[in-house]
Amino acid sequence: MADGEPRQSMPAQDGARLHRITLRETGESYACAGDRSLLKAMVALGRRGIPSGCHGGGCGVCKIRVLEGSVRCEAMSRSHVSVEEQATGYALACRAYPLSDVVLEVVGGMRKGLTRRYGLL
Amino acid sequence: MGVMRIGHINLRVLDMQAALRHYRDVLGMVPTDEDHKGNVYLKCWDEWDKYSVMLSPADRAGMNHVAYKVERDSDLDDIKARIRDYGREVEELAPGELPYCGRALRFKMPSGHLMYLYADKEFVGTSVGTLNPDPWPDDIRGAGAHWLDHVLLLCELNPEAGVNKVVENETFFRDVLGFRLTEQLMAGPDKSVKALAFMTVSIKPHDIAFVGGPCNGLHHCSFFLEDWGDVLRAADVMGKNRVKMDVTPQRHGITRGKTIYFFDPSGNRNETFAGLGYAAYPDMPVITWTDDQIGSAIFYHTGEIHEAFTAVYTEGY
Ligand code: FES
Repeated sequence: MADGEPRQSMPAQDGARLHRITLRETGESYACAGDRSLLKAMVALGRRGIPSGCHGGGCGVCKIRVLEGSVRCEAMSRSHVSVEEQATGYALACRAYPLSDVVLEVVGGMRKGLTRRYGLL
Repeated sequence: MGVMRIGHINLRVLDMQAALRHYRDVLGMVPTDEDHKGNVYLKCWDEWDKYSVMLSPADRAGMNHVAYKVERDSDLDDIKARIRDYGREVEELAPGELPYCGRALRFKMPSGHLMYLYADKEFVGTSVGTLNPDPWPDDIRGAGAHWLDHVLLLCELNPEAGVNKVVENETFFRDVLGFRLTEQLMAGPDKSVKALAFMTVSIKPHDIAFVGGPCNGLHHCSFFLEDWGDVLRAADVMGKNRVKMDVTPQRHGITRGKTIYFFDPSGNRNETFAGLGYAAYPDMPVITWTDDQIGSAIFYHTGEIHEAFTAVYTEGY
């Protein structure tokens, strides 16, 4: 079931097939069902590695690049992943659903402004 | 009197059906119209004008503009002159150019955010009417938000380069639009850098707020709930609908508001804000927070700001 849709108790069908997601830098891996975003599955398991932000494809902090395997992507803000980038494997982890086992690298990060030392953003 | 209150926000969304599920079923807004460009208009049950949220289909998230309502049509002429005298550009739009509104002013805030002012918007009426009304309607959905309350805009702040759009916006809103400062956060080694400005034009703790950041952006738009019980119930509604929550129910030091931060399906941050905190009469002294207490200023219970709250936002233009 996608984020933003009501919880259901029905067992998921095909989408429930688990795929292995591996973060290249750390070697860390976790299981993600085909109907769960790469980001949601990671946070739900209490794992870390991909920065977690808006979960809506709007903020860009969860940007990744798929190195092996394939994903299906829902709408992503073009400010953060252009059409060309998407064609070369870039994606937002909160909008990407695995179609196979995936090896990825983390590209995004929490933006730290120059002004952090001024106590806020 | 001039500017009276917030009127609406125009948000860009990546998936209109998902956005509609969110603003209608989770926040509890009522869709009132859709135009040929695919823009969808919604209002809260306690609002009387046609819309307070305009959703525009787009391929990037963020805010297109925010609009405030002035009391009298002639206020638009006065304010137009004041903006020009201040040395900034302003355009006047014919009735209808701003959807379902009368003539309008369009200008950029010093921070670059696009703003409109209008005096008239198509009237729809609240869901309970004005004759011997019930306190709430029977067909409330989701969180049942009462009204769009305020926006918090991210404004460029780079003291080393002499840039502080928080202060530039504050000055413009005070001198030109008649807003008053209610609370501020002072930062830096000698607490001389204004990093947050909360401003009102009513007696609410804020009708708009500005926060310093690396660039121009939309931090959140906020919807009013009556009390703490409503906030907790709203969080349940969000849990049921798998809405991504950024901050679960909590109290702000600044404004004393009771809050939840969460995201719409395109990643635009929303807030539900309960309680009026205090009455910000024009003679109320300005409240100052210092950045060594910033945790409590923002999240009074935990006294801690988590990284995503400050680093995650969408575009403000
Ligand atoms: S978490 Fe914001 S774009 Fe993925």
